[in-house]
Amino acid sequence: MPENTPYMIAAYVITAVILVGYAVLLYRRTLKP
Amino acid sequence: MRLLKTGRWITAVGLVLLAGVYVRALAFTPVERFQGPAQKIYYVHVPSAVVAMMAMGLVGLAGILFLLLKDPRFDRFGEASAEVGTAFSVVMLTTGPIWAKPIWGTWWTWDARLTLTLFLFLLFLGYLLLRGAVTDPGLRARYSAVLGICGLVLLPFIHLSVYLFRTLHPQPIVLKPSAPSLPGEMLVTLLMSFLVFVILYVGFVTQRYALSLLREQADHHA
Repeated sequence: MPENTPYMIAAYVITAVILVGYAVLLYRRTLKP
Repeated sequence: MRLLKTGRWITAVGLVLLAGVYVRALAFTPVERFQGPAQKIYYVHVPSAVVAMMAMGLVGLAGILFLLLKDPRFDRFGEASAEVGTAFSVVMLTTGPIWAKPIWGTWWTWDARLTLTLFLFLLFLGYLLLRGAVTDPGLRARYSAVLGICGLVLLPFIHLSVYLFRTLHPQPIVLKPSAPSLPGEMLVTLLMSFLVFVILYVGFVTQRYALSLLREQADHHA
């Protein structure tokens, strides 16, 4: 595994967590406005 | 509510397409020779930065239109775009340092581009805090519109900062007057990712706008 692969994985995981997390948050907020 | 359902569908489609972009970027886009796999962070960092800036630009435009027309829909849109822009600027400000550490050897440096993008994030936060602090809806909308216009004015400085100041941050390789200096496969991945981030922005803003509308209707009936 190249030396900086963990950085790439971390960036992609964090991006997914933020975007999916915000989508879930919005969904829950719109259930009880 | 139809608007809310539309927003949810657009968001769901955007998230599925995001998974597709991940597969293309990680498995089917070549690894850059000098930076290695860390270069692939570019495919999430750049679209998030462009969408965050686009979100602030639209907050500013909505602010101008609100001040001119006094239409509450522009205020509602500005609020939605600012909240969604905050989420994208968090992606930008976390993926940037993760790329910088292996490539520059440091997580952060106080150069012009990085500092101005931090200002952008702080402006988003300030905009949302302002909206939370002012209870009068008319005043809140006016103050927010002015702050949004300040954010709009910041955008050209962010884009041009890499030309105006000595900075570590790379110069634009796509959004520049000459042709993009990126191999075709990488450019396609970047454009696909940008399109998906825009779809997510539209889905999020539609939902957030519908949420504001629902809250206003609930307050009206209370």
